[in-house]
Amino acid sequence: MNVALVGVSHKTAPVDIREKLHFPEPRLGEALHQLRTQFGFEESLILSTCNRVELVAETSIPDEGLHQLKQFIYEFHQVQPDNFERFLYSYTQTEAVHHIFRVASSLDSMVLGEPQILGQIKNAFTLAKGAGSVGRTLNSVMTRAFYVAKRVRSETGIAGSAVSVSYAAVELAKKIFNKLTGKTVLILGAGKMSEMAANHLTHSGVSRVMVWNRSYPSAVEVARLFKGEAILPEELFKHIQQADIIISSTGAPHFILTREDGERIIHLRKNHPVFIIDIAVPRDVDPEINKVNNIFLYDIDDLRNVVDANMRQRQKEAQSAEDIVRQEVESFVRHSQTLDVAPTIVRLREHWEKVRLDELAKNRKRFGDLSREQEVALENLTQSLLNKMLHGPISELKRVSSQPADGTALDVIKRMFGLKE
Amino acid sequence: MSLILLRLATALYSIGLLHSFLTIIKRQKTLFRIAMFGICSGFMAHFLSILFAWIELKHLPISNLHEVLSFFAFVIVLAFLLSYARYRLDSLSVFIFPLVFILTLGANLVHVQRTMRPEVLKSLWLYIHVPTTFLGYAALFVAFAVGIMYLIQEKELKRKRPQAFYYRLPSLEVCDELGYRALGIGFSLLTIGIVAGAFWASVSLTTSWERDPKIIWSYVTWLIYAVLLHYRLSAGWRGRRAAWLSVIGFIIVLAAFFGTRHQGSAHTFILQ
Repeated sequence: MNVALVGVSHKTAPVDIREKLHFPEPRLGEALHQLRTQFGFEESLILSTCNRVELVAETSIPDEGLHQLKQFIYEFHQVQPDNFERFLYSYTQTEAVHHIFRVASSLDSMVLGEPQILGQIKNAFTLAKGAGSVGRTLNSVMTRAFYVAKRVRSETGIAGSAVSVSYAAVELAKKIFNKLTGKTVLILGAGKMSEMAANHLTHSGVSRVMVWNRSYPSAVEVARLFKGEAILPEELFKHIQQADIIISSTGAPHFILTREDGERIIHLRKNHPVFIIDIAVPRDVDPEINKVNNIFLYDIDDLRNVVDANMRQRQKEAQSAEDIVRQEVESFVRHSQTLDVAPTIVRLREHWEKVRLDELAKNRKRFGDLSREQEVALENLTQSLLNKMLHGPISELKRVSSQPADGTALDVIKRMFGLKE
Repeated sequence: MSLILLRLATALYSIGLLHSFLTIIKRQKTLFRIAMFGICSGFMAHFLSILFAWIELKHLPISNLHEVLSFFAFVIVLAFLLSYARYRLDSLSVFIFPLVFILTLGANLVHVQRTMRPEVLKSLWLYIHVPTTFLGYAALFVAFAVGIMYLIQEKELKRKRPQAFYYRLPSLEVCDELGYRALGIGFSLLTIGIVAGAFWASVSLTTSWERDPKIIWSYVTWLIYAVLLHYRLSAGWRGRRAAWLSVIGFIIVLAAFFGTRHQGSAHTFILQ
């Protein structure tokens, strides 16, 4: 696999270094063009996000390719190599494929399992295609990378659970209520966090939003954001039992909901469960309420615990993900080698068959008239000479293809027989 | 022939059971397809096993312990498949198939004796009393399994520290809904079955079958489930309380079944 990769990421360089090497989107086309025309890379791809900058290119001489890629980076960004050399990492061939597969599967991301990276890589790929910088090599590597990423996401839990507090709230709601459609959320008070959580909940299907605030106009204002209803301050306990989910973040110094309130609400709801998220500090809801059957109270620390537990789960799942990636890299390298070999064998035969026919034609006159049998004998002689001569190289090609070696042996044979164009 | 098919069914169920556990432990949905393959093909083999026995005996095969165990396992798998068709709960299989496996294994181990059927069983009532009762108990077993799942999940949610089960079990609402449905269906079937049994006994049995312990216990369990259903409908006994009662109710069913095996007059042929 004649692939070389050079890059920096959040793992190897701080942001002030990464930003100097960032390729702004409008200049990507120009960069790819330069890579092709000035640096001789037939195929290349540039991925530039806030957490990493990576260049991938097809190259038959890996070390030279790496050097050229680095040169390009320094020249394009007009920076001194000495200041940046130590932040760059580089991979070639099988290792490069391994790295690409890992990154696409979000195993190298700051947040394990994050979904954005795949989209970002796909965009970079589309752009490179548009600039004519994608050929057979990059096409097969990248499309396989997308497949591997999909496998990792669907076969492991790496992207499963919520790693932000507001998503964790939605996930918990779904563990209690299954479908959120038709459910009602009540916002007590106001604030960025509660609005964000309510936002996520409505996007996940919650259909009705009620808002309560000590000041009615504030309630109306928040309600408008969600196309919901504002409740009059004195009527809280007339409507509260309609809420399946309650998000509370008022500035009140005391409890707004006590355990007795909880018991009454549950009784009125005929034991339909209630999920209460208490974001306020000091807390709005009496923690004792959690002891009431069918009420589930989570404060901000509890939500963070859930996020931590989810992160630990992701770490565990990362193991399986790494195994999948390793498998896929092996099978990909093996497969691409057989692909490479078959056309080479064909071209080898074709090339020398042509030579045989040419030589036969050129020297035919010297033999004068030949009988039918003699013609056949001549044909057979030249054929069998050729077969015996090619037998060695072709066997070697096949042998090389079945081993997970790198592509240099193949290249040597191609060059030896004049097949490298 | 019937026995061979039963052995095949048992083997296939064990594949289903193993892969259900693997699916849950590794959280890989793709493994469950193998489990379903095992379960469905096992079910078909099991069905054929009972069918062959029926043809051979020329009556419904539930006259001895071997046949009872096999038939009960069969209706439990049927109940599971119906639940799965509607709710698609992979994790439910983990709670249901251990019992199925034990029952079919037991059926395999218990000696198959094609003895002469007791006179009392040669009746059309057999075809009403037994399938409905068994299916009723199977549905109540589903309610039991789902109740356990509910209680485990609820505990994790209350403790607010997600551990192994949190990620692998379905939502509370789904468990509760399936539990409710299974309870309703199970109770209705059980009622029909018990009533049919009572009619049948009054026509064909001469001994004081009313005092048969097995029958008395079946009335007791019927009553427990009637109370549970009543309070679910009227006073909103859902969620945790309903789950507990479904679990306790079925434990009593099991205790009654095994506890009264050696007593009573009406169901003694099951011992053979």
